[in-house]
Amino acid sequence: MEPQLSWYLALSAVLFTIGVAGVIIKRNIIAMFMCIELMLNAVNLTFVAFASFLQDVTGQLFVFIVMTVAAAEAAVGLGIIIAIFRNRESLDVDDASILKL
Amino acid sequence: MLALLFILFGALAIGCALAVVAQRNPLYSAISLIGVFISLACLYVMLAAPFIAAVQVIVYAGAIMVLVVFVIMLLNVEQEERRRTRLRFLVPTAVVLAAILIAEVAFMLVSVQDFRVIPSEGAPDIGVTHSIGPALFTHYLLPFEITSILLLMAIVGAMTLARRARLLPPNARVVPGAQQLPLSIVDPNAAPDDLRVVEADTADEAARILGIKGLRNQSRQD
Repeated sequence: MEPQLSWYLALSAVLFTIGVAGVIIKRNIIAMFMCIELMLNAVNLTFVAFASFLQDVTGQLFVFIVMTVAAAEAAVGLGIIIAIFRNRESLDVDDASILKL
Repeated sequence: MLALLFILFGALAIGCALAVVAQRNPLYSAISLIGVFISLACLYVMLAAPFIAAVQVIVYAGAIMVLVVFVIMLLNVEQEERRRTRLRFLVPTAVVLAAILIAEVAFMLVSVQDFRVIPSEGAPDIGVTHSIGPALFTHYLLPFEITSILLLMAIVGAMTLARRARLLPPNARVVPGAQQLPLSIVDPNAAPDDLRVVEADTADEAARILGIKGLRNQSRQD
């Protein structure tokens, strides 16, 4: 039996849900960051599944662009995390609840 | 056979994703996340997307996760503390939201059951580099160029955020008001490269906090 499109969509939805729950539950800012990466990957899986089942290359192109955005997000996000840690000596998001550094 | 592989890698991805959320140590979360990336790369190969699978391993499991692990080790992160009482409502909220999302997905799967896939003809080499390149540089050139601008902004932003505060020249003046002062300005005896920061309303208050008698003349307020 071949895997159907709906299987991939279900797997992607489960991964995305785990990512959302992680962002809400986790308090460590780096762990939240990794959960966001998880959500991006779930979306990528949907793109690739549709690209494969519809025989269209567009979905894979946008996966490529999503990966670029994720790389840029990693660079800037980790820079922000380092800046917050220098000011607060903590990675707990509750300690960074005011904008003033 | 393919179904067995799908179940294997899908279960691996879900298990690793759950471990990402469940682990308290961020480093273990990072390792689990690499497991998710690798199993997703295997799924991409099954979906006839070898190029995306390779990029997934190189960019995600390679570059991004190395960056994350570097930051975890640089900041010497300890284990996540137990949740404080005022945040206890967040876990039920997360569970309820996840249940709603799963219900939506179940509804979608029921309605997508009779979704007929109509593959376009004459494109058997979807997913190899040979077919991605021309499309990327002709029809989707604009998103490609916008991505390059985004990367440039990311480079500049990361440099701006991560650099250390510049030392002020000796004739710098302290403006009135709440501020953070480098110790080397407030305390004349401090080493000039002392980058510790004092938070104070005025320079005099900073001196009082530090227990320093004299201020540098130049750093007095006008």
